[in-house]
Amino acid sequence: MSAMVWHQVRYEQLSFWRNPQSAFFTFVMPVLVITIFGALFNGGSASSYFYGVSPLRYYVATIAALSVLGSCYSQLAIVLATRRQNGILKRVRATPLPTWMYFVGLLAHCVLVSVVVAGLIVLVGRLYGVPVPDRSQWLPIVVTLLLGAASFCAIGVAVAALIRNAEAAPAVVQFVLFPLVFLSGTYMPIQSDTVNVVTGALPVRPFNDALLGAMAQGTGFAWDSLGVLALWGVLGAIVAIRRFRWDPRPE
Amino acid sequence: MCAAVTVEGLRKSYGAVLAVRDVSFTVASGEIFALLGPNGAGKSTTLEILEGFRRRDAGSVDVLGIDPGDRSRGRELRERIGLVLQDIAVEPYLTVRETLARNAGYYRAPRDVDEVIGLVDLAGLERRKVRTLSGGQKRRLDLALGMIGNPSLLFLDEPTTGFDPNARRSAWELIRRLRDTGTTVVLTTHYMEEAQQLADRVAIIADGRLVSEGTTASLGGRDTERARIRFAPPPDISVGELPVPARPDGDGLVTVESAEPTMTLHQLTEWALRRDCTLDQLVVERPSLEDVYLRLTRDDAAESTLEGSLR
Ligand SMILES: Nc1ncnc2c1ncn2[C@@H]1O[C@H](COP(=O)(O)OP(=O)(O)OP(=O)(O)O)[C@@H](O)[C@H]1O
Ligand SMILES: [Mg+2]
Repeated sequence: MSAMVWHQVRYEQLSFWRNPQSAFFTFVMPVLVITIFGALFNGGSASSYFYGVSPLRYYVATIAALSVLGSCYSQLAIVLATRRQNGILKRVRATPLPTWMYFVGLLAHCVLVSVVVAGLIVLVGRLYGVPVPDRSQWLPIVVTLLLGAASFCAIGVAVAALIRNAEAAPAVVQFVLFPLVFLSGTYMPIQSDTVNVVTGALPVRPFNDALLGAMAQGTGFAWDSLGVLALWGVLGAIVAIRRFRWDPRPE
Repeated sequence: MCAAVTVEGLRKSYGAVLAVRDVSFTVASGEIFALLGPNGAGKSTTLEILEGFRRRDAGSVDVLGIDPGDRSRGRELRERIGLVLQDIAVEPYLTVRETLARNAGYYRAPRDVDEVIGLVDLAGLERRKVRTLSGGQKRRLDLALGMIGNPSLLFLDEPTTGFDPNARRSAWELIRRLRDTGTTVVLTTHYMEEAQQLADRVAIIADGRLVSEGTTASLGGRDTERARIRFAPPPDISVGELPVPARPDGDGLVTVESAEPTMTLHQLTEWALRRDCTLDQLVVERPSLEDVYLRLTRDDAAESTLEGSLR
């Protein structure tokens, strides 16, 4: 069974790295962003505006979260919508490969990409002098990353299930993500309480908060945020399971 | 010979569109069976029901002893069938070899990847990315994916569309070879020559109904129809002066229909030799598969428009 998962992950990886669009947006972009922020904020000191940490330490956490969004949510929604439209999903469905195995392979691939990108972001931060998180925070960091990756994978599959037209997929995905990422404090801390209450109930901000807590502030598990994130993951999974279609032309 | 596929009273509609109405046929194991019919006749719908992709509204279907509508046996069915869908669907960023190796991993007893690459004439292109292949080459890769699992039943929906004449002939050779090694093949095509060359039996579907079924030689009474002898009459000879009844064709030729073409030809040639003249452009034809196909599918369309205009 695990041999089959590797079989799937291997071919997903090959497809991923050879597709210039997916490799750029999911991989190069976040690394580029943290490199630029590093140059902009290098040497900034801790302030209450950045929740008591240095600007770069803040951005290492939020951009790591952004990279997980890209590798899981955006990638899955676009890839699945495109594959369905091109009939590739239907072709997979014609083989004896079990459905769950196809998805396990795909999700494992996305999680693998997330972990690699997030690791690279921490490394770039390190080069700019951001300290690597304390050992005691590693478990909360890994758990938060995995839960975030799983939840955003589920949401990605759900969005792919709701999108009809693959040409529209990148636009729809970005249209939802861009304002949400902005309002959730990924690019700058948000001071408005109203906005924070709203975004706190949506999936991106809780993920940012949980990762900030473990990576920057060293406060361990943020159970409240993780709970909200998990709820969104479950909701995504329900929509995905009920609405997912393989056929480009449904009956 | 036992049946590989049995279809009885099959019906399927999409909303108000009746795509398949009461279709029945059987495919014997080890034969090549072709479904012909105009665009929108219901061929792909029928195939996709047999493949387990679409649900039927009524009728019974048996594919290798399994009901394809039974999801719990879906995996068992897919292990034993192979298919090519009407639209090409291959991952753009994998190579030819990777694409086949990946799918081979899904089956218990797949064929050898390199052997299959050779069979569909893609040898030498193993390391090419799929997106750089031509349309016909992609289609051949698609065909290779259909047979990689070593299926005992192969469904091919317009498999040779977009093939050049050489590629088409080698695909026919391949499909025949598969049949000879025991694979049953059910295919659809719009090429009459393909059906003629390949199929052991043919069924014609028009407007969701099965209008005729038989061997290519006997379809629609082809074998019992009269032969047509056509030629250019010698100059200055009117149709009435010929030794057998004939009718002018409009293009300067005359046509003689005959149930006894040997006898009729003898009468004609003897007459011509005696008068020391020639029968230019002489041909003897039977109604081709295409003639029969056009008659069977046109009848249907003509009837319904006639009915419409009479009302
Ligand atoms: N998913 C669908 N939703 C709605 N109508 C459909 C769907 N698929 C097919 N149809 C309709 O059902 C009828 C039969 O279609 P089908 O694809 O089976 O025809 P076909 O014989 O394969 O035609 P072609 O030779 O053009 O491939 C057509 O009228 C078509 O418009
Ligand atoms: Mg069709």
